Amino acid sequence: MSTYIPEEVDIKQNSNGTAVTETTLLQTAEALRWQIGRNFHDQLMEDIYTNAARIADRAITRAGEQPRFDLDSTIDRIVTSRRWGFPLMALLFAVVFWITIVGSNYPSQALAWLLVDTLHPLLRSGADLIGLPWWLSGLLVDGMYLATAWVVSVMLPPMAIFFPLFTLLEDFGYLPRVAFNLDNLFRKSGAHGKQALSMMMGFGCNAAGVVATRVIDSPRERLIAIVTNNFALCNGRWPTQILIATLFIGSLVPAYLAGLVSALAVVGVAMLGVLLSFVVSWGLSRTILKGEVSTFSLELPPYRPPRIWQTIYTSLIDRTLIVLWRAVTFALPAGAVIWLTANITLGDRSLAAHLINLLDPFAWLLGLNGVILLAYVVAIPANEIVIPTILMLTVLVTGATDVGSGAGVMFELEGAAVKDLFLAGGWTLLTAVNLMLFSLIHNPCSTTIYTIYKETGSKKWTLIAALLPVVMGFMVTFLVAQVWRLVSGNW
Amino acid sequence: MTQTDCTTCPAHHAGNLRRLGVDMSNFDYVVALAGNPNVGKSTIFNALTGLRQHTGNWPGKTVTRAEGAFAYGGKRYKLVDLPGTYSLLSTSRDEEVARDFILFGRPDVTIIVADATRLERNLNLALQVLEITDRAVLALNLLDEAARHGLQVNDRRLARDLGIPVVPMAARQGEGVDALLQAVHEVATGQVVCKPYRLKSGSTAVQRAVELLTRQIQALFPDLPNARWVALRLLDGDQRIAQAVRNGELRELAQNGRTAPTPSIPLEIMA
Amino acid sequence: MPHPLLILAIAALLLCLTAILIWPRKGLLALWQNNRRLSSRVLGEDALKHIHKSELHGRRPTVESIAGALQISTNETAVLLDTLQNQQLLELRAGDIHLTPDGRDSALHIIRAHRLWERYLADETGFGAAEWHDQAEHLEHHLTPAELDALEAQLNYPTHDPHGDPIPSARGDMIGHGGKPLTALPVDQPGQIVHLEDEPSIVYAQLVAEGLHVGMPVRVTERTPERVRFWSSGNEHVLAPIVAGNVSVVPVPAEAETAVGAGYETLADIPLGSRAEVVALSPACRGAERRRFLDLGILPGTVIQAEMRSPSGDPTAYRIRGALIALRRAQAKLIKVKREST
Repeated sequence: MSTYIPEEVDIKQNSNGTAVTETTLLQTAEALRWQIGRNFHDQLMEDIYTNAARIADRAITRAGEQPRFDLDSTIDRIVTSRRWGFPLMALLFAVVFWITIVGSNYPSQALAWLLVDTLHPLLRSGADLIGLPWWLSGLLVDGMYLATAWVVSVMLPPMAIFFPLFTLLEDFGYLPRVAFNLDNLFRKSGAHGKQALSMMMGFGCNAAGVVATRVIDSPRERLIAIVTNNFALCNGRWPTQILIATLFIGSLVPAYLAGLVSALAVVGVAMLGVLLSFVVSWGLSRTILKGEVSTFSLELPPYRPPRIWQTIYTSLIDRTLIVLWRAVTFALPAGAVIWLTANITLGDRSLAAHLINLLDPFAWLLGLNGVILLAYVVAIPANEIVIPTILMLTVLVTGATDVGSGAGVMFELEGAAVKDLFLAGGWTLLTAVNLMLFSLIHNPCSTTIYTIYKETGSKKWTLIAALLPVVMGFMVTFLVAQVWRLVSGNW
Repeated sequence: MTQTDCTTCPAHHAGNLRRLGVDMSNFDYVVALAGNPNVGKSTIFNALTGLRQHTGNWPGKTVTRAEGAFAYGGKRYKLVDLPGTYSLLSTSRDEEVARDFILFGRPDVTIIVADATRLERNLNLALQVLEITDRAVLALNLLDEAARHGLQVNDRRLARDLGIPVVPMAARQGEGVDALLQAVHEVATGQVVCKPYRLKSGSTAVQRAVELLTRQIQALFPDLPNARWVALRLLDGDQRIAQAVRNGELRELAQNGRTAPTPSIPLEIMA
Repeated sequence: MPHPLLILAIAALLLCLTAILIWPRKGLLALWQNNRRLSSRVLGEDALKHIHKSELHGRRPTVESIAGALQISTNETAVLLDTLQNQQLLELRAGDIHLTPDGRDSALHIIRAHRLWERYLADETGFGAAEWHDQAEHLEHHLTPAELDALEAQLNYPTHDPHGDPIPSARGDMIGHGGKPLTALPVDQPGQIVHLEDEPSIVYAQLVAEGLHVGMPVRVTERTPERVRFWSSGNEHVLAPIVAGNVSVVPVPAEAETAVGAGYETLADIPLGSRAEVVALSPACRGAERRRFLDLGILPGTVIQAEMRSPSGDPTAYRIRGALIALRRAQAKLIKVKREST
């Protein structure tokens, strides 16, 4: 390819530049590259930095003595100290989660009251009033509107609180220190310390967690963080866990312990999720991802006082509303599909009933039932509507007439009535436990899948991120179901 | 390089700045915003355009290229916020996006945002930018933070050494925005002509090689303003630039001057 | 409903079957692919490569040695050599096997493909040293000359593969490493590793496990028929002579060695609060990692101060040109420094 130009002649001969063409230019460049040696890149960077240092030196004057009190390193010494580093971190995040949970309770109820309890009946009677055919009002109001209303009322308040709080910590500069503190743990599982933060964000919303992996600048570790983000139990799945734990696990123990035990069960599931993300990170970094480039660097920026109002405004716009908008665009068609499966009849039964029958044998192997699996299929856009869908489908299957609002209409009930309905639907403690497990370990919601595709730009990684957890979920629930039946002697 | 007297006024006197947000129609000049991660690039972007693009206190947060617009001194400017990078030489996706825009997009002015507290590291990028384009302004940001750390930066000295206007700023407080606009305006309209600093290599072998190659490139593309930089890239084995030589992109660039259309650059980082 | 044990058994069976089918390297699918790999073309190319390497090392290639290298029977080898002879890639002269010019070109192409690909894996991917050879062994047969030229350009025309073997240029030029075996280096003579032989892979794995890489300084302290004891980058290594023979070194003048040898520390050895000046980046710091370090301003002459350690013990934050950057221990070990006297 290259023509060697003898060292002595080249400089003089080519300097006139008369017969230079694109091709000879590249050839000259190549020949010169052999002469200047292999370390040119290193040499170039060294030259640039030498120049930069000289210019900077001339421009900067240091005040006579260093300020006695350096705030940054004082904060750093505390937040990364062996004694205070971890407790402080735990405390800060506990406070963030506590404010989120407590703070979103009331607005969530208010929104549900407004959108589901008040506006929905109004819309229905409005539809009747203007004489919409039943199927159209069912599809639009009971299907699409209700699903969306549900997603908004469950999703919006916690996100509107959690994200700004998180962003404040981020703007202050604390989050890189968290990555710094936890990196050793993540390093051992082949991941990046910053994954702690995308996981944390994932507890709010996996789609936002996937976007948050952008701060990880090493390709391999970023993919790991994206694929495992789903194991952070997101906001949409907490209600499922809490409901099932309260109904089935809490009732196993005396009433005064019920609250504690069911809370422990939920936290246990969340911890299992964290453990799984370490295990899966470890596995990925040693198998399919080992060929991806991996470099670690973590800059700890100086602390800066966060600008509170601007942060709240921008994190609402940037994170909450965008995620919400994506969720809504996916919830609308899902609502339609849910309503249609319950209302299209084939022969003597609804499409939903047929599908449930079809899924039942497989679901039995997993210790679940056809209703739950179908709910997870049609409610893929948002985990928030899984429980309402399960309730609606259970009513449909059991033929219970005293609860619910009709075929295809999602609803919620108070504790005891829900449990009665579930028991009528053939639920056992195994069903409940496996539902909790499956709720943790299943495919990400379609909003998250879409976000993964946008972030990775790769169909392959999107597919892996979607299929890996659901296959794992099948395996885990299957094993639990078989062992459970074996031990209990009840099959 | 003059700073307005009233930097503490609540509604800052940014001359006749009109923030145009995302309305980027009929612009007269294209301005690129380059800088290391986490130096306040986005703050300046927001201050100029009135947009509220959020990026946290994180290196590497602006992954995509954001665009906005403003009007100043009767001219309309399109502002392009490039990904924050430490360098333009390596081969990460971000650096390629930033580099390609400054080279092939030929912005009329490139604002280099530098962190006064880590000047040396920021000048590393600034010097690289100055190898590509000679129409640049250095926004010396975070001077308030530097003062807190007992550092004083002589912006006049810096301007003389770098050969471009240097604007002292504390963008979070809105200080220096006015002067920055003025400097950008002057460079864009040609009232100020920059004589940017050129890198000096410590090795004579490298110097000779760069000189020889630069002369050849100048012979081949007489109107190319950054022949030396192209020579450096070719010596470093940069295949993107070699390809630009081969497929005529560079020739086009040399001939079209600054009227070259803005190329569309893919934004996803992990394509 | 069936008994859970029965279901578990069926599931285990299915799992085993799947594993047998798709297990990497030993699964049926992998074996089938391997079989395809052992097509006559691939075997032919491997044979040419073996003959070429034997010639280079001054050994006489025989039917037996080829059969051994390719792990096929001597009969199959004879048939293979016949075919190659018909293709005029090799000729038999006085019972000796010789490559024709075409055969040599062919062998060089394969070697070029192999070493370029290893270079690529080392610089542009995250694969570890133990994986390079096997992957390249497979891919060398599937790269066209045009692809190689593109790869070579992308890698900025490397001259050596990560083991220190020269990469033939498109015209067949090679720059040898010019080293001699570590077993031949006199005791106390400072040297530098220029090549690590990657075959057989068991021996190479041992060298990798010892942390040896091309560019490392060495100094032999003891040489007996049983073992070679030497210091390298602050660690003592003991190797059997047969293993040490796979390490090639060049002697370096004593004064050059002091720069990286004596009093040599890495950034990882610097206690918190101390400052050190960077002397060099280890040659083992390659590709994206090296470029990142350079961008951060970690260059010879840069003064770095160790500031704080994560409460979990790793990473450590360093003050580098004004910025606080956390580096992991394994990374800090790649940066050779000289401690600043306070």
